[in-house]
Amino acid sequence: MCEANVYLHRDGQEELLMESVDRIIPGEDNQIFMENIFGERRVVKARIREMELVRHRVILEAVPEEPVQRHTEIWLEPETAHGHFHPGEAVIIKLNKGYNMQADSQAELKDPKAYIVKPEGTRELELHAHHNQGEINLTEEIDGLAQIYVHEKGEQERYAAVLVEVGHHHHHGTQPIGLPLEIISTDYSHARMGENYEIQVLKNGIPLAGAEVKATYSSTKNRDYPHHLTTDETGRAKLFLTARGNYLFSVTDENIISTFTLVKSF
Amino acid sequence: MCKDMPPLEKAIQFHGHICPGLLMGVRAAEFAQKYLDIDPDQDEELLAVVETNSCGVDAIQSILGCTFGKGNLIFKDYGKNVYTIASRGKKRAVRIAQKYKPQSHPDSLRYRELKRKDSLNEAESAEAENLLGAIFERLMSTPFEELFTWRDIDFSFPAKAEIYPTVQCSVCGEGVMEPRAIRNGQNYVCPDCV
Repeated sequence: MCEANVYLHRDGQEELLMESVDRIIPGEDNQIFMENIFGERRVVKARIREMELVRHRVILEAVPEEPVQRHTEIWLEPETAHGHFHPGEAVIIKLNKGYNMQADSQAELKDPKAYIVKPEGTRELELHAHHNQGEINLTEEIDGLAQIYVHEKGEQERYAAVLVEVGHHHHHGTQPIGLPLEIISTDYSHARMGENYEIQVLKNGIPLAGAEVKATYSSTKNRDYPHHLTTDETGRAKLFLTARGNYLFSVTDENIISTFTLVKSF
Repeated sequence: MCKDMPPLEKAIQFHGHICPGLLMGVRAAEFAQKYLDIDPDQDEELLAVVETNSCGVDAIQSILGCTFGKGNLIFKDYGKNVYTIASRGKKRAVRIAQKYKPQSHPDSLRYRELKRKDSLNEAESAEAENLLGAIFERLMSTPFEELFTWRDIDFSFPAKAEIYPTVQCSVCGEGVMEPRAIRNGQNYVCPDCV
Protein backbone atom coordinates (compact mmCIF):
# COMPACT_ATOMS: atom_id res chain seq x y z
CA MET A 1 0.00 0.00 0.00
CA CYS A 2 1.32 3.43 -0.91
CA GLU A 3 -0.68 6.52 -0.10
CA ALA A 4 -4.42 6.31 0.51
CA ASN A 5 -7.48 8.49 0.45
CA VAL A 6 -9.05 9.08 3.85
CA TYR A 7 -12.82 9.23 4.18
CA LEU A 8 -15.10 10.08 7.09
CA HIS A 9 -18.08 7.77 7.44
CA ARG A 10 -21.08 9.65 8.80
CA ASP A 11 -24.78 8.84 8.61
CA GLY A 12 -24.17 6.10 6.01
CA GLN A 13 -22.25 8.47 3.73
CA GLU A 14 -18.55 8.80 3.05
CA GLU A 15 -16.97 12.23 2.86
CA LEU A 16 -13.46 12.56 1.40
CA LEU A 17 -11.25 14.17 4.04
CA MET A 18 -7.85 14.05 2.38
CA GLU A 19 -6.27 12.53 -0.70
CA SER A 20 -2.90 10.83 -1.04
CA VAL A 21 -2.30 10.46 2.66
CA ASP A 22 1.01 8.82 3.53
CA ARG A 23 1.01 9.30 7.31
CA ILE A 24 -1.68 8.67 9.91
CA ILE A 25 -0.95 9.03 13.62
CA PRO A 26 -3.65 8.35 16.21
CA GLY A 27 -3.32 10.76 19.14
CA GLU A 28 -4.87 11.33 22.52
CA ASP A 29 -8.53 12.07 23.01
CA ASN A 30 -9.60 10.32 19.79
CA GLN A 31 -7.62 12.67 17.58
CA ILE A 32 -6.14 11.43 14.34
CA PHE A 33 -3.34 13.32 12.65
CA MET A 34 -2.85 12.81 8.93
CA GLU A 35 -0.42 14.15 6.37
CA ASN A 36 -0.42 13.71 2.62
CA ILE A 37 2.35 13.58 0.04
CA PHE A 38 1.84 17.29 -0.70
CA GLY A 39 2.67 18.20 2.89
CA GLU A 40 -0.90 19.08 3.85
CA ARG A 41 -1.92 18.13 7.37
CA ARG A 42 -5.19 17.67 9.19
CA VAL A 43 -6.28 16.65 12.63
CA VAL A 44 -9.73 15.15 13.05
CA LYS A 45 -11.59 13.80 16.02
CA ALA A 46 -12.46 10.28 14.88
CA ARG A 47 -11.41 6.67 15.01
CA ILE A 48 -10.43 4.24 12.26
CA ARG A 49 -13.43 2.26 11.07
CA GLU A 50 -11.87 0.29 8.23
CA MET A 51 -8.67 0.14 6.15
CA GLU A 52 -9.06 -1.13 2.58
CA LEU A 53 -5.40 -1.62 1.74
CA VAL A 54 -5.86 -2.92 -1.80
CA ARG A 55 -8.16 -0.02 -2.69
CA HIS A 56 -5.96 2.52 -0.92
CA ARG A 57 -8.83 3.70 1.29
CA VAL A 58 -8.91 4.47 4.99
CA ILE A 59 -12.33 5.06 6.46
CA LEU A 60 -12.75 6.98 9.70
CA GLU A 61 -15.87 7.43 11.75
CA ALA A 62 -16.79 10.22 14.12
CA VAL A 63 -16.55 9.38 17.80
CA PRO A 64 -19.87 9.77 19.58
CA GLU A 65 -19.68 12.24 22.45
CA GLU A 66 -19.72 10.75 25.90
CA PRO A 67 -22.80 11.72 27.90
CA VAL A 68 -22.09 14.41 30.46
CA GLN A 69 -22.14 13.11 34.02
CA ARG A 70 -23.95 16.02 35.59
CA HIS A 71 -24.54 16.80 39.18
CA THR A 72 -26.48 19.80 40.30
CA GLU A 73 -24.59 22.51 42.10
CA ILE A 74 -25.21 26.03 43.28
CA TRP A 75 -23.03 29.05 42.58
CA LEU A 76 -22.99 32.78 43.22
CA GLU A 77 -22.42 35.53 40.69
CA PRO A 78 -22.23 39.24 41.48
CA GLU A 79 -24.18 41.39 39.06
CA THR A 80 -21.24 43.44 37.88
CA ALA A 81 -19.45 43.35 34.57
CA HIS A 82 -16.04 44.36 35.84
CA GLY A 83 -15.23 42.39 38.95
CA HIS A 84 -16.26 44.75 41.72
CA PHE A 85 -18.86 47.29 42.73
CA HIS A 86 -18.42 51.01 43.16
CA PRO A 87 -19.54 52.66 46.41
CA GLY A 88 -23.16 53.71 46.08
CA GLU A 89 -23.96 51.09 43.43
CA ALA A 90 -26.61 48.44 44.03
CA VAL A 91 -24.77 45.31 45.14
CA ILE A 92 -26.74 42.31 43.91
CA ILE A 93 -25.52 38.72 44.07
CA LYS A 94 -27.34 36.07 42.09
CA LEU A 95 -27.62 32.49 43.27
CA ASN A 96 -27.96 29.88 40.52
CA LYS A 97 -28.60 26.17 40.48
CA GLY A 98 -27.45 24.04 37.57
CA TYR A 99 -24.19 22.77 36.22
CA ASN A 100 -21.12 24.18 34.46
CA MET A 101 -22.39 27.76 35.01
CA GLN A 102 -25.52 26.91 33.07
CA ALA A 103 -28.72 27.25 35.05
CA ASP A 104 -30.90 24.14 34.99
CA SER A 105 -34.54 25.01 34.41
CA GLN A 106 -35.59 21.71 36.04
CA ALA A 107 -33.69 22.41 39.26
CA GLU A 108 -35.34 23.82 42.40
CA LEU A 109 -33.61 25.65 45.21
CA LYS A 110 -34.47 24.01 48.53
CA ASP A 111 -34.51 26.58 51.32
CA PRO A 112 -30.98 27.90 50.80
CA LYS A 113 -29.47 30.10 53.51
CA ALA A 114 -27.05 32.93 52.76
CA TYR A 115 -24.40 34.29 55.07
CA ILE A 116 -21.94 37.16 55.14
CA VAL A 117 -18.54 36.61 56.72
CA LYS A 118 -16.82 39.66 58.14
CA PRO A 119 -13.92 40.00 60.60
CA GLU A 120 -16.43 40.71 63.38
CA GLY A 121 -18.41 37.52 62.70
CA THR A 122 -20.80 35.64 60.44
CA ARG A 123 -24.41 36.72 59.99
CA GLU A 124 -27.33 35.38 57.97
CA LEU A 125 -28.51 37.44 55.03
CA GLU A 126 -31.89 37.84 53.44
CA LEU A 127 -32.09 35.64 50.35
CA HIS A 128 -35.00 35.75 47.93
CA ALA A 129 -35.14 32.39 46.18
CA HIS A 130 -37.55 31.30 43.49
CA HIS A 131 -37.36 28.17 41.36
CA ASN A 132 -33.66 27.76 40.42
CA GLN A 133 -32.53 31.32 41.11
CA GLY A 134 -32.00 33.47 44.15
CA GLU A 135 -30.97 37.03 44.85
CA ILE A 136 -29.09 38.67 47.69
CA ASN A 137 -29.09 42.44 48.00
CA LEU A 138 -25.96 43.61 49.79
CA THR A 139 -26.24 47.31 48.99
CA GLU A 140 -26.60 48.27 52.66
CA GLU A 141 -24.21 45.60 53.90
CA ILE A 142 -20.80 46.08 52.39
CA ASP A 143 -18.14 48.69 52.13
CA GLY A 144 -14.93 46.95 51.27
CA LEU A 145 -14.52 43.21 51.09
CA ALA A 146 -16.89 40.50 52.25
CA GLN A 147 -17.13 36.78 51.79
CA ILE A 148 -20.60 35.51 51.01
CA TYR A 149 -21.68 31.92 51.05
CA VAL A 150 -24.88 29.97 50.58
CA HIS A 151 -25.69 26.60 52.08
CA GLU A 152 -28.41 24.29 50.80
CA LYS A 153 -29.05 21.36 53.10
CA GLY A 154 -30.21 17.94 52.00
CA GLU A 155 -28.93 14.48 51.15
CA GLN A 156 -26.61 16.37 48.87
CA GLU A 157 -25.13 19.26 50.80
CA ARG A 158 -24.38 22.21 48.55
CA TYR A 159 -22.21 25.23 49.25
CA ALA A 160 -21.42 28.23 47.10
CA ALA A 161 -18.92 30.94 48.01
CA VAL A 162 -17.79 34.22 46.50
CA LEU A 163 -15.69 37.19 47.51
CA VAL A 164 -17.48 40.49 46.93
CA GLU A 165 -15.59 43.75 46.61
CA VAL A 166 -17.06 47.23 46.90
CA GLY A 167 -14.51 49.88 45.97
CA HIS A 168 -10.90 49.06 45.18
CA HIS A 169 -9.21 46.88 47.74
CA HIS A 170 -6.40 44.42 47.82
CA HIS A 171 -7.59 40.97 48.69
CA HIS A 172 -4.63 39.85 50.75
CA GLY A 173 -5.38 38.54 54.18
CA THR A 174 -8.82 37.04 53.59
CA GLN A 175 -9.24 33.89 55.64
CA PRO A 176 -11.07 30.65 54.78
CA ILE A 177 -14.73 30.73 55.77
CA GLY A 178 -14.50 27.37 57.51
CA LEU A 179 -16.96 25.32 55.45
CA PRO A 180 -16.86 21.50 55.65
CA LEU A 181 -15.59 21.54 52.06
CA GLU A 182 -14.23 24.78 50.70
CA ILE A 183 -12.29 26.12 47.74
CA ILE A 184 -10.19 29.16 48.51
CA SER A 185 -7.88 31.32 46.48
CA THR A 186 -4.31 31.08 47.75
CA ASP A 187 -3.75 34.70 46.70
CA TYR A 188 -6.76 36.95 46.80
CA SER A 189 -5.14 39.62 44.66
CA HIS A 190 -6.84 40.35 41.39
CA ALA A 191 -6.81 37.46 38.96
CA ARG A 192 -5.88 38.18 35.38
CA MET A 193 -6.43 36.43 32.13
CA GLY A 194 -3.17 35.12 30.69
CA GLU A 195 -1.82 34.20 34.13
CA ASN A 196 -2.00 31.21 36.44
CA TYR A 197 -4.53 31.24 39.25
CA GLU A 198 -4.08 28.98 42.24
CA ILE A 199 -6.81 27.56 44.44
CA GLN A 200 -6.70 25.31 47.47
CA VAL A 201 -9.29 22.79 48.63
CA LEU A 202 -9.90 22.50 52.36
CA LYS A 203 -11.91 19.78 54.03
CA ASN A 204 -12.84 20.85 57.55
CA GLY A 205 -10.04 23.37 57.30
CA ILE A 206 -7.40 20.82 56.30
CA PRO A 207 -5.89 20.77 52.79
CA LEU A 208 -7.42 18.00 50.70
CA ALA A 209 -4.89 16.25 48.46
CA GLY A 210 -5.87 14.39 45.29
CA ALA A 211 -9.25 16.09 44.95
CA GLU A 212 -10.65 16.61 41.48
CA VAL A 213 -11.52 20.26 40.97
CA LYS A 214 -13.52 21.19 37.92
CA ALA A 215 -13.28 24.67 36.47
CA THR A 216 -15.37 26.53 33.94
CA TYR A 217 -16.17 30.08 32.85
CA SER A 218 -19.35 31.89 32.04
CA SER A 219 -18.79 32.09 28.28
CA THR A 220 -17.99 28.43 27.70
CA LYS A 221 -19.65 26.55 24.86
CA ASN A 222 -18.67 23.21 26.41
CA ARG A 223 -21.51 21.06 27.68
CA ASP A 224 -19.27 19.77 30.44
CA TYR A 225 -16.60 21.50 32.51
CA PRO A 226 -13.67 22.36 30.21
CA HIS A 227 -11.01 22.01 32.92
CA HIS A 228 -10.27 19.20 35.36
CA LEU A 229 -7.55 19.79 37.93
CA THR A 230 -6.19 17.56 40.68
CA THR A 231 -4.98 19.03 43.94
CA ASP A 232 -1.40 18.32 45.04
CA GLU A 233 -0.31 17.17 48.48
CA THR A 234 -1.00 20.67 49.85
CA GLY A 235 -4.52 20.68 48.40
CA ARG A 236 -3.52 23.20 45.72
CA ALA A 237 -4.10 23.30 41.98
CA LYS A 238 -3.38 25.89 39.30
CA LEU A 239 -5.31 26.96 36.27
CA PHE A 240 -4.09 29.19 33.44
CA LEU A 241 -6.90 31.68 32.83
CA THR A 242 -7.74 32.00 29.16
CA ALA A 243 -11.29 33.34 29.23
CA ARG A 244 -12.80 36.70 30.02
CA GLY A 245 -15.38 37.01 32.75
CA ASN A 246 -15.90 34.97 35.87
CA TYR A 247 -14.69 31.45 36.56
CA LEU A 248 -16.33 28.77 38.66
CA PHE A 249 -14.42 26.09 40.56
CA SER A 250 -16.32 23.06 41.84
CA VAL A 251 -15.28 20.18 44.07
CA THR A 252 -17.21 17.16 45.32
CA ASP A 253 -16.37 15.04 48.35
CA GLU A 254 -18.70 12.41 49.78
CA ASN A 255 -22.12 14.11 49.89
CA ILE A 256 -20.88 17.70 49.62
CA ILE A 257 -20.56 19.83 46.49
CA SER A 258 -18.82 23.12 47.05
CA THR A 259 -18.23 25.89 44.53
CA PHE A 260 -16.15 29.03 44.50
CA THR A 261 -16.74 31.84 42.04
CA LEU A 262 -13.68 33.75 40.93
CA VAL A 263 -14.84 37.23 40.01
CA LYS A 264 -12.50 38.78 37.47
CA SER A 265 -12.18 42.42 36.48
CA PHE A 266 -11.73 41.51 32.83
CA MET B 1 -12.08 52.63 33.50
CA CYS B 2 -11.56 52.26 37.22
CA LYS B 3 -8.48 50.06 37.19
CA ASP B 4 -5.32 49.92 35.18
CA MET B 5 -6.20 47.70 32.30
CA PRO B 6 -3.65 44.93 31.76
CA PRO B 7 -1.87 45.08 28.37
CA LEU B 8 -3.48 41.84 27.25
CA GLU B 9 -6.96 43.21 27.94
CA LYS B 10 -6.15 46.45 26.11
CA ALA B 11 -5.18 44.42 23.06
CA ILE B 12 -8.30 42.23 23.22
CA GLN B 13 -10.62 45.20 23.61
CA PHE B 14 -8.96 47.00 20.71
CA HIS B 15 -8.89 43.96 18.44
CA GLY B 16 -12.33 42.66 19.41
CA HIS B 17 -11.43 39.05 20.08
CA ILE B 18 -8.65 36.75 21.23
CA CYS B 19 -6.68 34.95 18.54
CA PRO B 20 -3.20 33.45 18.23
CA GLY B 21 -1.93 36.30 16.02
CA LEU B 22 -2.97 38.91 18.56
CA LEU B 23 -1.27 36.99 21.36
CA MET B 24 2.00 36.91 19.41
CA GLY B 25 1.70 40.67 19.03
CA VAL B 26 1.12 40.99 22.78
CA ARG B 27 4.31 39.04 23.46
CA ALA B 28 6.28 41.26 21.05
CA ALA B 29 4.85 44.50 22.45
CA GLU B 30 5.45 43.51 26.07
CA PHE B 31 8.99 42.43 25.23
CA ALA B 32 9.73 45.73 23.46
CA GLN B 33 8.40 47.68 26.42
CA LYS B 34 10.65 45.83 28.83
CA TYR B 35 13.69 45.63 26.54
CA LEU B 36 13.69 49.33 25.72
CA ASP B 37 12.41 50.31 29.18
CA ILE B 38 9.67 52.46 27.73
CA ASP B 39 6.16 53.55 28.70
CA PRO B 40 3.29 53.44 26.23
CA ASP B 41 3.44 56.31 23.79
CA GLN B 42 1.67 59.58 24.47
CA ASP B 43 2.81 61.87 21.68
CA GLU B 44 5.09 60.13 19.21
CA GLU B 45 8.00 59.44 21.55
CA LEU B 46 7.81 55.93 20.15
CA LEU B 47 7.64 54.75 16.60
CA ALA B 48 6.73 51.31 15.29
CA VAL B 49 7.52 49.93 11.87
CA VAL B 50 5.39 46.87 11.20
CA GLU B 51 5.97 44.55 8.28
CA THR B 52 2.53 42.96 8.33
CA ASN B 53 -1.07 44.05 8.57
CA SER B 54 -2.17 40.99 10.54
CA CYS B 55 -3.68 40.71 14.03
CA GLY B 56 -0.44 41.25 15.97
CA VAL B 57 -0.25 44.87 14.81
CA ASP B 58 -3.32 45.67 16.89
CA ALA B 59 -1.39 44.62 19.99
CA ILE B 60 1.43 46.99 19.00
CA GLN B 61 -1.06 49.83 18.59
CA SER B 62 -3.04 49.22 21.77
CA ILE B 63 -0.18 48.32 24.14
CA LEU B 64 2.58 50.60 22.89
CA GLY B 65 0.37 53.44 21.67
CA CYS B 66 1.96 53.50 18.23
CA THR B 67 -1.15 54.03 16.18
CA PHE B 68 -2.21 54.57 12.62
CA GLY B 69 -4.02 57.76 13.57
CA LYS B 70 -1.05 59.34 15.36
CA GLY B 71 1.24 58.62 12.45
CA ASN B 72 3.81 56.73 14.53
CA LEU B 73 2.86 53.37 13.05
CA ILE B 74 4.59 52.81 9.74
CA PHE B 75 3.31 49.90 7.66
CA LYS B 76 5.55 48.07 5.23
CA ASP B 77 3.56 45.52 3.32
CA TYR B 78 6.12 42.70 3.45
CA GLY B 79 3.85 40.00 4.86
CA LYS B 80 6.31 39.33 7.70
CA ASN B 81 5.57 39.25 11.39
CA VAL B 82 8.37 41.69 12.12
CA TYR B 83 8.05 44.72 14.38
CA THR B 84 10.65 47.42 14.84
CA ILE B 85 10.04 49.54 17.91
CA ALA B 86 12.05 52.72 18.32
CA SER B 87 12.25 55.20 21.17
CA ARG B 88 13.26 58.80 20.48
CA GLY B 89 13.99 59.38 24.15
CA LYS B 90 16.18 56.31 24.55
CA LYS B 91 17.68 56.72 21.06
CA ARG B 92 17.31 52.99 20.59
CA ALA B 93 15.41 50.65 18.31
CA VAL B 94 14.84 46.93 18.45
CA ARG B 95 13.77 44.74 15.53
CA ILE B 96 11.67 41.78 16.66
CA ALA B 97 11.02 38.97 14.18
CA GLN B 98 8.75 35.98 14.66
CA LYS B 99 10.68 32.75 14.15
CA TYR B 100 9.76 30.69 11.14
CA LYS B 101 8.49 27.25 11.99
CA PRO B 102 8.00 24.86 9.08
CA GLN B 103 5.58 22.67 11.05
CA SER B 104 2.60 24.08 12.87
CA HIS B 105 1.42 22.53 16.11
CA PRO B 106 -1.51 20.10 15.51
CA ASP B 107 -3.69 22.29 17.78
CA SER B 108 -3.03 25.29 15.57
CA LEU B 109 -3.76 23.31 12.40
CA ARG B 110 -7.06 22.10 13.72
CA TYR B 111 -7.98 25.53 15.06
CA ARG B 112 -7.33 27.11 11.66
CA GLU B 113 -9.34 24.37 10.00
CA LEU B 114 -12.32 25.13 12.25
CA LYS B 115 -12.00 28.90 11.81
CA ARG B 116 -12.13 28.46 8.03
CA LYS B 117 -15.59 26.90 8.28
CA ASP B 118 -18.58 29.11 7.60
CA SER B 119 -20.40 27.86 10.67
CA LEU B 120 -19.59 25.53 13.52
CA ASN B 121 -21.89 23.11 15.27
CA GLU B 122 -22.06 22.96 19.07
CA ALA B 123 -19.30 20.36 19.42
CA GLU B 124 -17.01 22.19 16.98
CA SER B 125 -17.59 25.50 18.77
CA ALA B 126 -16.55 23.88 22.04
CA GLU B 127 -13.56 22.27 20.35
CA ALA B 128 -12.44 25.60 18.88
CA GLU B 129 -12.79 27.24 22.29
CA ASN B 130 -10.69 24.52 23.94
CA LEU B 131 -8.05 24.63 21.20
CA LEU B 132 -7.77 28.40 21.53
CA GLY B 133 -7.38 27.99 25.29
CA ALA B 134 -4.54 25.50 24.78
CA ILE B 135 -2.87 27.72 22.16
CA PHE B 136 -3.31 30.74 24.43
CA GLU B 137 -1.56 29.02 27.31
CA ARG B 138 1.21 27.73 25.07
CA LEU B 139 1.91 31.10 23.40
CA MET B 140 1.90 33.04 26.67
CA SER B 141 4.03 30.45 28.50
CA THR B 142 6.63 29.70 25.83
CA PRO B 143 9.97 31.45 26.45
CA PHE B 144 10.19 34.53 24.25
CA GLU B 145 13.39 33.39 22.58
CA GLU B 146 11.59 30.32 21.23
CA LEU B 147 9.02 32.52 19.50
CA PHE B 148 11.05 35.52 18.32
CA THR B 149 14.53 36.75 17.49
CA TRP B 150 15.52 40.35 18.17
CA ARG B 151 18.42 42.73 17.66
CA ASP B 152 19.23 46.37 18.23
CA ILE B 153 19.36 48.34 15.00
CA ASP B 154 20.46 51.80 13.90
CA PHE B 155 17.33 53.75 13.24
CA SER B 156 16.80 57.11 11.52
CA PHE B 157 13.85 58.75 13.16
CA PRO B 158 11.57 60.58 10.74
CA ALA B 159 10.16 63.96 11.71
CA LYS B 160 7.00 63.84 13.80
CA ALA B 161 3.78 63.78 11.84
CA GLU B 162 2.77 67.23 10.63
CA ILE B 163 -0.66 68.80 10.75
CA TYR B 164 -1.54 70.29 7.38
CA PRO B 165 -4.25 72.80 6.42
CA THR B 166 -7.48 71.49 4.93
CA VAL B 167 -8.67 72.86 1.61
CA GLN B 168 -11.96 72.34 -0.19
CA CYS B 169 -12.25 70.06 -3.20
CA SER B 170 -13.81 72.04 -6.04
CA VAL B 171 -15.66 68.94 -7.33
CA CYS B 172 -17.22 67.23 -4.29
CA GLY B 173 -16.97 70.12 -1.84
CA GLU B 174 -15.38 68.00 0.85
CA GLY B 175 -12.34 69.01 2.82
CA VAL B 176 -8.98 67.47 1.90
CA MET B 177 -5.50 67.69 3.40
CA GLU B 178 -3.60 70.19 1.26
CA PRO B 179 -0.60 67.99 0.33
CA ARG B 180 -3.00 65.28 -0.88
CA ALA B 181 -5.03 67.66 -3.07
CA ILE B 182 -4.25 68.30 -6.73
CA ARG B 183 -3.92 71.96 -7.60
CA ASN B 184 -5.98 72.96 -10.64
CA GLY B 185 -5.38 76.65 -11.22
CA GLN B 186 -6.94 78.43 -8.28
CA ASN B 187 -8.84 75.29 -7.23
CA TYR B 188 -8.07 72.04 -5.47
CA VAL B 189 -9.32 68.59 -6.40
CA CYS B 190 -9.23 65.67 -3.95
CA PRO B 191 -7.66 62.33 -5.02
CA ASP B 192 -11.11 60.75 -5.15
CA CYS B 193 -12.37 63.26 -7.72
CA VAL B 194 -9.34 63.40 -9.96
